[in-house]
Amino acid sequence: MPTVTMTGCERVNRMLARQDHDRVPRHDTYWPETIARWQREGLQWDQTDALRLLGSDFQVLCWAWPAPFPGHREVLAQDAETETVRDAWGGVGRFWKGRSGTPEHISFGCDSREAWEKTYRPALLAAPNPINTQLAALRFREGRQLGKWTYLSGVEAFEALRRLIGDETCLVAMIEDPDWIRDIVQVHTDLVIRHLEVVLAAGVQPAGLWIYGDMAYNHSTMCSPAMYRDLVWPSHKRLADWAHAHGMKFIYHTDGRVTGVLDLLIAAGVDCLQPIEAKAGMDIRLFAPTHGDRLAMFGNIDVMKMATNDVAVLEEEIRTKFAAGMATRGYAYHSDHSVPPSVSWATYQAIVGLVQRYGTY
Amino acid sequence: MPLLTDLSAAVAAGKRIDTIRITQELLAAGTSPQDVVEQGLVPGMANVGELFRRNEIFVPEMLVAARAMKEALKLLEPLLAKAGIKPKYTVVIGTVQGDLHDIGKNLVAMMWKGANFAVVDLGTNVSADRYVAAAREHNANVVGLSALLTTTMPAMKETVRLLKEANLPNVKIMVGGAPITQAFADEIGADGYSADAGSAVNIALKLVGEAA
Repeated sequence: MPTVTMTGCERVNRMLARQDHDRVPRHDTYWPETIARWQREGLQWDQTDALRLLGSDFQVLCWAWPAPFPGHREVLAQDAETETVRDAWGGVGRFWKGRSGTPEHISFGCDSREAWEKTYRPALLAAPNPINTQLAALRFREGRQLGKWTYLSGVEAFEALRRLIGDETCLVAMIEDPDWIRDIVQVHTDLVIRHLEVVLAAGVQPAGLWIYGDMAYNHSTMCSPAMYRDLVWPSHKRLADWAHAHGMKFIYHTDGRVTGVLDLLIAAGVDCLQPIEAKAGMDIRLFAPTHGDRLAMFGNIDVMKMATNDVAVLEEEIRTKFAAGMATRGYAYHSDHSVPPSVSWATYQAIVGLVQRYGTY
Repeated sequence: MPLLTDLSAAVAAGKRIDTIRITQELLAAGTSPQDVVEQGLVPGMANVGELFRRNEIFVPEMLVAARAMKEALKLLEPLLAKAGIKPKYTVVIGTVQGDLHDIGKNLVAMMWKGANFAVVDLGTNVSADRYVAAAREHNANVVGLSALLTTTMPAMKETVRLLKEANLPNVKIMVGGAPITQAFADEIGADGYSADAGSAVNIALKLVGEAA
């Protein structure tokens, strides 16, 4: 039974340090279609209300994803359902109109080392910092007033590589031209840090850095652990070192099965892993006992089980995973991806009740 | 003269230049194009699939092997066509309606090509009707359905239903993708499920009655 009530910031900091706290910290992500469904089923406003009901402890301040042509969006073609767009990274993709989903990547402007060196590298280095520092400072003041765990966010090098040069070019170059990959990784990481330092220079003192990059899929990491260690890991370590030097903790987001690189992530300085994708075979009941003393865990509640809308199934999922995570004192609630529109508002309200019931220390 | 096993080793290691050179030398020495494909390239790519399945190699190594194979096939395909030799099996593949994701689908297509299947790639956001029409037009042995998103799993179910209703008795249906499981494949009536690109060849071969 908790004897004190903590702010979200205190709660998350203590969770990340695996110290006693009152309840499991909470946050979640929803598909836009999920919110639209819930509005039809009784959610009064938008996702802010869902997060308020959940009791989210987190507040994002800004998003860093350096692009060579910030703001560029050129519609090249469209049909009734999709539009084909050239984006700020020089790539062409087909996107759904009016609904979310992964785009089809058609081509990448930066498709060779020559294109990188002649056009994209100089453009990236010359591009203005798109972060709105005033807005970040306002969100920080609001977040601090509400006791939230405030964080800087952005995209890490592996995700940036895939967006800039595409999966196939990227993964082949990791074998055939690793120095090119190293150069892109270094330029991207330099820029992320440079852009975020402007926010710190404005007097913002966030609690953490939460960086996104999907380095894995349901079978394994996209590249071998050795290749990750050689080419991408140094940038993760650099971001972690930079965060720690500024008094921030480092949360790393990746989908997919990353069991093969957990020790490398810890060695890089990752404090917390999120969202721990259950359908890729990630299960904190298995690795909390082996890694939970060195790595906080954030998520892993299976959206496929949420989509059954069966509260008994969800109760078992939440009860057993919370027990495993809470035994380490380093666990926070999040769905293992984003809550899909197949989950009803009534089910989500039941999930919030289960999180409250099983997530109290 | 190099051996067919040298070609298998070169393609499995993704050594593109060696793969081209050995292919040329084997042809010059009188090895038939069919033997170069079936006893050189196919075993090499089968080895790639097995190593991938066991997490001994990863997507980059698979891609460079497939690229080496593709270069060799550029030399071989005109010779095979001239001799009237066609792949034994035809497979149709695509990402189901509502889903634009294509990485997993492309990897499976690559491995099927490496097994010397004729691959008809319908791309992404493929309607059930298009799958049925393509299966009929190309006299397909296997139709592969891919989905990344949980929200497109119902489209996969509907496609399987229509393929089953289309009276195509020789067509086997295989499914895969991040949210797909064997249990879901069974539930919707698919004939096979592949958890990864490395296993996709063996499962397709089993479906068409070949011991894999």
